[in-house]
Amino acid sequence: MEVYNLYCLSVKKVKKFNNIAIIEFDREIRGYPGQFIMLNVFGFEEIPLSLSSPKTITVKNVGKTTNRVVNTKEGDVFGIRGPFGRPFSYPDVEKIYLIAGGIGIAPLNYLYEYFKDEIEVIAIHGVKTKEELIYDYPEVATEDGSVGFRGNAVELFLKLADFKEEFRVYSCGPKPMLLSLYKIMKKLGKLESLEVSLENYMRCGIGLCGSCVTESGARVCRDGPTFKGTDVSEKDFI
Amino acid sequence: MLSVEVAGLKLENPVALASGILGSKKSSLVEIAKFAGAVVTKSVGIEKREGYKNPCVINQKCGVINAVGLASPGAKVFSEELKEISIKKPLIVSLFAPNPENFALLVDYFPFASAFELNLSCPHAKKLGMSIGVDEKAVESCVKAVKDATDKPVFAKLTPNVTDITKIGLAAEKGGADAVVAVNTLKAISIDIYSKKAVLSNIVGGISGKAIKSIALRCVWDLYEVLDIPIIGCGGISNWIDVLEFIMAGASFVQIGSAFYNSLRTIEGIVKSLEDYLYSKNERVKDLIGVAHGGV
Repeated sequence: MEVYNLYCLSVKKVKKFNNIAIIEFDREIRGYPGQFIMLNVFGFEEIPLSLSSPKTITVKNVGKTTNRVVNTKEGDVFGIRGPFGRPFSYPDVEKIYLIAGGIGIAPLNYLYEYFKDEIEVIAIHGVKTKEELIYDYPEVATEDGSVGFRGNAVELFLKLADFKEEFRVYSCGPKPMLLSLYKIMKKLGKLESLEVSLENYMRCGIGLCGSCVTESGARVCRDGPTFKGTDVSEKDFI
Repeated sequence: MLSVEVAGLKLENPVALASGILGSKKSSLVEIAKFAGAVVTKSVGIEKREGYKNPCVINQKCGVINAVGLASPGAKVFSEELKEISIKKPLIVSLFAPNPENFALLVDYFPFASAFELNLSCPHAKKLGMSIGVDEKAVESCVKAVKDATDKPVFAKLTPNVTDITKIGLAAEKGGADAVVAVNTLKAISIDIYSKKAVLSNIVGGISGKAIKSIALRCVWDLYEVLDIPIIGCGGISNWIDVLEFIMAGASFVQIGSAFYNSLRTIEGIVKSLEDYLYSKNERVKDLIGVAHGGV
């Protein structure tokens, strides 16, 4: 049994937006795109968070603990375990699309940075309004049309993609968005080129407690969080 | 070759899922039931319980320490989750309650259960589990209350955190238990030397996994010496040899939990290896129960 000891890293830089922060640690965390860490926020809880690059996490304020994280200052110390989970698979093609909805951008940004110099990576970030755009990707979709394409990330993807080409699609975001993407890829017979990162309520992070089990019976923390399109079904997005 | 029967429950193989691991969702129970001889759900009480804050599960080289704190959606919601489950294996519903009356009330929520397992042994929830399980009289009356409320088999899951587990086992037997499950986790803690604090939010948890296998095995052995009812072995079993050790010590079948760390299909591998071994020896599980205690 591998042991995931707790270690501490201090915060080197914080880039804060309204209710989202990109937090950079003083050292790299050895992992791969798609993996997550357990962040021990001393005095609060231990929470799972995707790595958004080797040194960063990208966090949205959704509760007590994330509120503390988003309002962190340089020099603050956090406990870390991991990385855990199955990373995204290596793209064996020359072109990939990253389709992110909202804070789902976090694991995909790591993937973007990992491969942008090797192959063609088209990152599409869909948000409600432009205030939520925290990275500078050329392809953005806003629901209110305040900037870029008016609509969601999947609609923009459909507009951009040439389905005669060979490519892979990596996606992370709200379940309704993943469901619509899943249905489209299924209809096109391209489920094997789809990969999604799922987020479920998680407790132990090591595949034992069962809190994060999907409707198909897979453990998000250990069998995922990344899943091939062929390994999930529609009920996993509900 | 692999089949066993305990209190009228027929198991096609002697390896079941233990309570508390991957047993809170229908989907994971269905997945595990494909290969397990039976599945035991996560313990459920009448009311909803949040459980403890994270970190509530930590893994170590030889085991897992947890203080999940009997997190449960409550009987009504959990029964909704489980009621349409379609598995061909016995579904054992694990119950927790603070007193005999509440234990008895829980039974009616789960008409589809094949049997009930009473959690008299969780070491980290106040006034529940082990708080009852260390008291012979309380164990006897809780078992009796559930036996009076149902015709289904009732198993009592025992705690090893006592001076003499056989006394608790005998109390369960006196209360009418159809079998005892030995054992739940042992009380344990872990300290982070950098923050100089206990790691678990609840400080104290229960340790499972390889670290406790030999202790659990000894508990099964001791119980087999004094009890007339069957024993279900549990604690640190992670391969087919462990399974046989427990059976030879007196277990009629075993339950596996922490070993799911390795794979969701842990039981499949164990059962296959067990089958190969028994085939090569031309032996049957039911003939091996308690054989290590020697002949009369």
